[in-house]
Amino acid sequence: MIERTPLLNLATYAVMFIGALVVFVPLWLVFVGATLTVREINTPELHYITGSHLFENLQAAWARGNLGGRLLNSLIMSLGVATGKVVMSALTAFGLVYFRFPGRMLAFWLIFITLMLPLEVRIVPTYAVAANALWPFQSMLDVSGLTGLIQMLSGIQIGLEWNLLNSYTGLVLPLIATATGTFLYRQFFLTVPDELLEAARMDGAGPFRFLVEFLMPLSRTNMAALFTIMFLYAWNQYLWPLLATPDRAGFGTTAVVELKLLAPTVSTNGGGTPDWNVAMAGCLIVMLPPLLLVAFMQRYFVRGLIATEK
Amino acid sequence: MEKRATFSMGWLGFAFILPQILLVFTFFYWPTGAAMYWAFTLERPWGGGNEWVGFDNFRQIFADRAYWGSIIRSLMFAASTAILSMAFGLLLAVACDRGLKGYQAFRTIFVWPYAVVAPAAALAFRFIFAPEAGIFASLVKAYPEFWNPAQNGYHAMAMIIICYSWKYAAYCFIFFLAALQAIPRSVIEASALDGAGVLRRVFDIQLPLITPTFFFMLVISITDSFQDSFGIVDVMTDGGPGKATELLVYKIYFDGFRGLDYSGAAAQSIVLMLIMMVLTFFQFRYIERRVHYS
Amino acid sequence: MKSKLLATVAALLLAATASASSAERVKFEMWHGLTGDLGGVVDQVCKRFNDSQADYEIICTSQGSYDNALQNAIAAYRAKKNPTIVQIFDAGTLDLLLSEAYVPARKLMADNGYKINWEDYIPAISNYYANSKGELNSFPFNSSTAMMYWNKDAFAKIGKTEAPKTWEETFDSLKALKSAGYECPMAWNYDTWPIMEQFSAINNIPVATKGNGYQGLDAEFAVNKGKYVDIIKTLKKGYDDGLVKIKTPDTGATIVQAFANGDCQVMLSSIADHGTVGKTQKPDMQWDVAILPTLAGVERHNSLVGGASLWALQGKSDAEYKGAAAFFNFIAQPESALFWSTNTGYIPVTKSGFEFMKSQGFYDKAPYKGRELAIASLNASPVNENTRGIRLGGFVQIRKEMRDALTDIFANKVSVDDGLNSAVERSNAVLRKFEKTYAGKMLP
Repeated sequence: MIERTPLLNLATYAVMFIGALVVFVPLWLVFVGATLTVREINTPELHYITGSHLFENLQAAWARGNLGGRLLNSLIMSLGVATGKVVMSALTAFGLVYFRFPGRMLAFWLIFITLMLPLEVRIVPTYAVAANALWPFQSMLDVSGLTGLIQMLSGIQIGLEWNLLNSYTGLVLPLIATATGTFLYRQFFLTVPDELLEAARMDGAGPFRFLVEFLMPLSRTNMAALFTIMFLYAWNQYLWPLLATPDRAGFGTTAVVELKLLAPTVSTNGGGTPDWNVAMAGCLIVMLPPLLLVAFMQRYFVRGLIATEK
Repeated sequence: MEKRATFSMGWLGFAFILPQILLVFTFFYWPTGAAMYWAFTLERPWGGGNEWVGFDNFRQIFADRAYWGSIIRSLMFAASTAILSMAFGLLLAVACDRGLKGYQAFRTIFVWPYAVVAPAAALAFRFIFAPEAGIFASLVKAYPEFWNPAQNGYHAMAMIIICYSWKYAAYCFIFFLAALQAIPRSVIEASALDGAGVLRRVFDIQLPLITPTFFFMLVISITDSFQDSFGIVDVMTDGGPGKATELLVYKIYFDGFRGLDYSGAAAQSIVLMLIMMVLTFFQFRYIERRVHYS
Repeated sequence: MKSKLLATVAALLLAATASASSAERVKFEMWHGLTGDLGGVVDQVCKRFNDSQADYEIICTSQGSYDNALQNAIAAYRAKKNPTIVQIFDAGTLDLLLSEAYVPARKLMADNGYKINWEDYIPAISNYYANSKGELNSFPFNSSTAMMYWNKDAFAKIGKTEAPKTWEETFDSLKALKSAGYECPMAWNYDTWPIMEQFSAINNIPVATKGNGYQGLDAEFAVNKGKYVDIIKTLKKGYDDGLVKIKTPDTGATIVQAFANGDCQVMLSSIADHGTVGKTQKPDMQWDVAILPTLAGVERHNSLVGGASLWALQGKSDAEYKGAAAFFNFIAQPESALFWSTNTGYIPVTKSGFEFMKSQGFYDKAPYKGRELAIASLNASPVNENTRGIRLGGFVQIRKEMRDALTDIFANKVSVDDGLNSAVERSNAVLRKFEKTYAGKMLP
């Protein structure tokens, strides 16, 4: 469609340039901040020209935050959450959409309600569960009197224990226990024409083959989108990793937690200068992996969202 | 909304959802149940006995002006961030959707903020907005009252709204662009043949056609703003100055986790959950209807 | 005959950092809230302990901040995964004190055969952490008190060679500094610790009824009258006149930084910042610390101890408690005090530690000179009802209420009286809820 609208085109470019500027300016200032010395960055004026201390600051942030190991932890956790979520959501949505069984609606609502309470507000009891993931089951056995019964009959006292603290499992599982992805998949499956299943049946495909060979290829973009979203979500997590990884010396924690510790706050005791330059350098390092992922995945990511949102 | 064609083995369907049910039970319902119990008792942080007090904790929070303040602030935050980020996202999406030469590069840039981790963005904006070291430093030197988020609650609120919207606008952009590009080209071409100019088409055809997406984003962004604001508030303002940026989730976190008032925080969690339920229910109904029509 | 089966579905063991030679040593954990330089010194203390004997190995972990150390310790205790020792800051003392989660320090030491001379502790420090009979529940570790930091160069310009002794004199000096062209005579950050808590002790005024809460959970907060209102009004007026400037991380500089780089000439801050100021100060700047001012005509009393103490938590084996006791004994030695105070700005907590450091000439040399004034401040008078400490529940929330009120007062959103009244009212609501939560509990 060729239209001659030079003025309007100019306006469009202007909008896009301003938009790009708004995106760029904060990122640029962070970058500049990361190149200055403590003294420079704390002088009260606007810094928009880079200094010459970028590598020093990056090194300082890297060393002080022990970022090498932390980034690895973040990466493993985020990959775990993203993969787990993609698989779990697909399975659950498949079960909910393509099968009829008693209690299906109840299960649906049970999963659905998890969207409504963020992890931050139930964090203390969640910690107790992470410290022993079998605590709920132990309690149910205790309350139902089964523990006593079994002990009476066999002489064995049941003490279920599964400690998830300081482990990737512990970081990942509570973050997977929400419904986000399930609904993306459910919506997608609902839009798949019924004819597909008929065709698959004619092909002699059972549920597993239908899921793997028919539905999965169709939902590739969904998967990419969900994967990216969940990766970012997990990478962003702050409060849960802070709590779930008390063993800082051994297991360590995630990069984002460490980044927060680099930043000066009111409650940081013992004084010390707010070395924004190192904090900004830390920002750069921690920001990089998700940016790369999005740049790399963008094609799928944007298209996936188009598909999921419909 | 139901599928007509299904598999007959019901038990297998149950097997498919079992892992998720187990996970949700262990890491959501059990902890949430514990928190609910606390809301009706006075829980001691170090454990060791608690007392059933019925609705006392709820009565207390509803009698507290600071709590209502945090509800109002949360709503204000939700409304402002929704308006800002959606307006900005929509504008950029419409611009990109024109498909002018080189728009792909802009599209890539506009998605970036979504990929910037929230604490890093918050840290960056805190630095940018620090009155004595940031972008306004020279202005503040001349006019000290011009910008002072450390003391002026409105400035602090503006700061977290801008930071949050900057990030969230990218998310809105993705959705709006997707919706715009999903409009069949033939519809637009037909209108162009009728002599409708570019702007006219935007207002008469494209925007009306994406109203569903618009409402969807509105609800999503409100519920998201309740949940995702925590990291930004925690990094940028600690809820201050005064209580000027104390949003609901941050208040729950502070009262319960730092102030050790587990029961008061648990009661607040339940109220938050009810608010979210109403909003999500609305959203759910809405999404269902859309799926139905498409 | 009970046989216990641990059905361990999957146990993830803590990564043990032990070397082969120390395999038989009893290991136990300590969680603390210090980071950066200070966290590094804690690690060194732990290492010194491990090197000093062959029976125990302490594993010290920083939780990032005092808040996190407390929260994580609570969460861990509830899940029975707690460390043997945890560092808890002053405001978290009462919740722990009223719980059954700790082993009193005195009992721990007696059970394990250590004879500690409890009289040796500086009274202003020991009383803060002791029960009503004066027995210590936890070990004072990193202790500090608030001091006035003043810039000698600036004061020389206004013809003064000594720090002001009273608040009245302080404000006269600030005015003179302002007239002499200093833009920021005094830096302040809304911190209530020097101007409310320390102020109360030094001027011998209670912050709450019932002996600052020591005599019962039904204490009422009372900082909305008399001298408190006066001092806040004075401070606010100073702020309005440009004598006091707000410096917080949100403005771009902390008070410590603003003082160290010569921007602000006076600040009230912890003695623990003494080292930081020395390390980051503007070259050649002359400065010193002084005891906090009193009100004119008031007899000076001792200031309060700040910082944190070490608690032994319940639920550990006898062997671990033996190790914990050995560690407490180790840090109580004068040599440890010297090491700790040399590497941090914290003060020795025992009289013998202080004497030992004096005898080593610690306080004569340049970087540490002046820190003895912190001890002088704590020892300014015998400890009485108003100066032994503050025992109020929910003190983290109360401090926040006060801070919020002060922020609003300084932003002209409320008057001084209204702001303090509503903060006290809200704080009392916190106290009443706390009292109800611990109904039937007696202060030990």
